[in-house]
Amino acid sequence: MSDEAVREEDRQLLARAQDGDVSAFEALVDAHRDKVYGLALRMTRSEADAAEITQDTFLSAYQHLKDFRGDAAFGSWVHRIAANHALMRLRHRRVAQAAEQELKGPEFTERGSLAEYPQTDWSRDAEEKALDAELGTAIQQASDRLPEGYREVFLLKDVEGLSYEQIAAVTGDSIPAIKSRLHRARLALREAIDAFYNRDGREL
Amino acid sequence: MYNCKDSINLLLDYLDGEMSPEDAQHLREHLRGCSPCVEFLRTYRATPGLCKRALAAKMPKEVSDKLTEFLRSKIKSAS
Repeated sequence: MSDEAVREEDRQLLARAQDGDVSAFEALVDAHRDKVYGLALRMTRSEADAAEITQDTFLSAYQHLKDFRGDAAFGSWVHRIAANHALMRLRHRRVAQAAEQELKGPEFTERGSLAEYPQTDWSRDAEEKALDAELGTAIQQASDRLPEGYREVFLLKDVEGLSYEQIAAVTGDSIPAIKSRLHRARLALREAIDAFYNRDGREL
Repeated sequence: MYNCKDSINLLLDYLDGEMSPEDAQHLREHLRGCSPCVEFLRTYRATPGLCKRALAAKMPKEVSDKLTEFLRSKIKSAS
């Protein structure tokens, strides 16, 4: 189904749910629960927290169903609610954080030129159907190593697809600060993927 | 003349399409003469998509059953 067809179906289900049709609301939950759960799991890295956040998110959505005007898609609305719930939970359990200086990025010479490193152009792999399982693990580990504020912004923007404005609204940070952290997070992740592809060259 | 470091710091704005005309000009000039940066741009651009796929998750069946049960009980007690 095209995005537009999905949205139209959501709109119809939403209208019925707003009129009190519980089965229509359940159909909306079925359609969006994987995305909400995925967001919560990536943000909190805890299956138990992710399950609870998903419950809380859809319960909030149900309780505010009448207030939802339908000017945004239902999917992005619940996504924002889920991001809020996940962030609140993270704020409550501030654990030992990786320091910012541990963020890796490209290395430059004194004159600001890219330092030499073995190169494999892996950009095309992003379009291939199957993702290498080991690469998947390497990316997950690299994302886990990002300092919390950087990981949050990267997940919300690049994985969940929220806009800078939406991220600013849920995190309370300024847009320039969000962009700067996103860039550093991308550089660190790019570095990790690059290291994965060039590991054989480096071991020699 | 921008060096690699300056250019790489502009990549986010470049991909967002939010660069001043002057910066865009400087970046283009640098990229024309620097193949490592062109390569870097390609992999920087591919990074979010690869990460998104690596981090995909699906809700396990028992969790979705619990979710349905939870919402039904809440909805019933509210009505």
